[in-house]
Amino acid sequence: MNKLFYPIAAVLILATSAFTFLAAPGWQIADSYSISFTNDEASGIFKDFKGTLVFDEQNPGAGKFDVLIDVTSINTGNGLQNKHAKSDEWFDAAKYPQIHFVSRSIIRAGNGYQATGDLEMHGVKKPISLPFTFKRTAQGGIFTGSFTISRSDFGIGKPGGEVPEPVKLDISVPVTKS
Amino acid sequence: MFKKSLALGIVSGLLAGIAGIVYAHLYYTINEADFSKVASTVSIISASLFGGVLAAVGYTLLDKWLKARGEIVFNLVFTLISFISLLGPIAVRLPRNIDTPELFPGMVIPMHFFPALAWFTLKPLFIRNK
Repeated sequence: MNKLFYPIAAVLILATSAFTFLAAPGWQIADSYSISFTNDEASGIFKDFKGTLVFDEQNPGAGKFDVLIDVTSINTGNGLQNKHAKSDEWFDAAKYPQIHFVSRSIIRAGNGYQATGDLEMHGVKKPISLPFTFKRTAQGGIFTGSFTISRSDFGIGKPGGEVPEPVKLDISVPVTKS
Repeated sequence: MFKKSLALGIVSGLLAGIAGIVYAHLYYTINEADFSKVASTVSIISASLFGGVLAAVGYTLLDKWLKARGEIVFNLVFTLISFISLLGPIAVRLPRNIDTPELFPGMVIPMHFFPALAWFTLKPLFIRNK
């Protein structure tokens, strides 16, 4: 048994270190990111965003996104509207303080990429596809994406009413090499 | 009459503007909230001056039309307009890069009463009661 320990350990170390070369690079989220939402009646940004972004343009399938948005960081530009948005009538930030997206797969799509995964918001988890582009910059790169969700799919606000169902999300996340 | 009320309007507007700037700086220090990008020194002074001059025009017209009752109506209207104008800062949407927009009305609302306060305080110096 003792004779086998060192050869097995050597093989394991070699194999593990070899796979690290294959793994997609991780990116550090830069401070100048922007997560904004718009529809005809309401618009704003989420100021706090964090998570891990693993992505390689040459091998998008090996990538993985796991990001969190702090619902309490919502800013519509109006104090009363911020309070209203965080209330149980809309995001219910006290009960559901975070929006969570975890990708299951990332593929090439058209001129960009598409991350398919689960978006959990307001206690409701739904599969979504998030189209995005990635451009290299001097500092690292920038992820940009736009997609539309229906707020009622996540139980946000009452169905119908003055605020339209579709909400467009625009995401721009500059990253540096971690 | 208009000359005197215009002088009162300009002086009370300027003083209201100065009071607004002092109050804004105090507010920034106490609350660590800086709204100088949306409520700059120039915009505070010009808004207060606008209020003062508008009051001068209103006072002159009401005094001319309603004679003895003109001042009573003017005081009521000036106070009422100051209250109604509060809807502005409550409903305003600030640029989203400005943090804590909920603190903005707290800074601006008192300023909306400064022109009226200055007018009522300084009026005996400019216009004597009939």
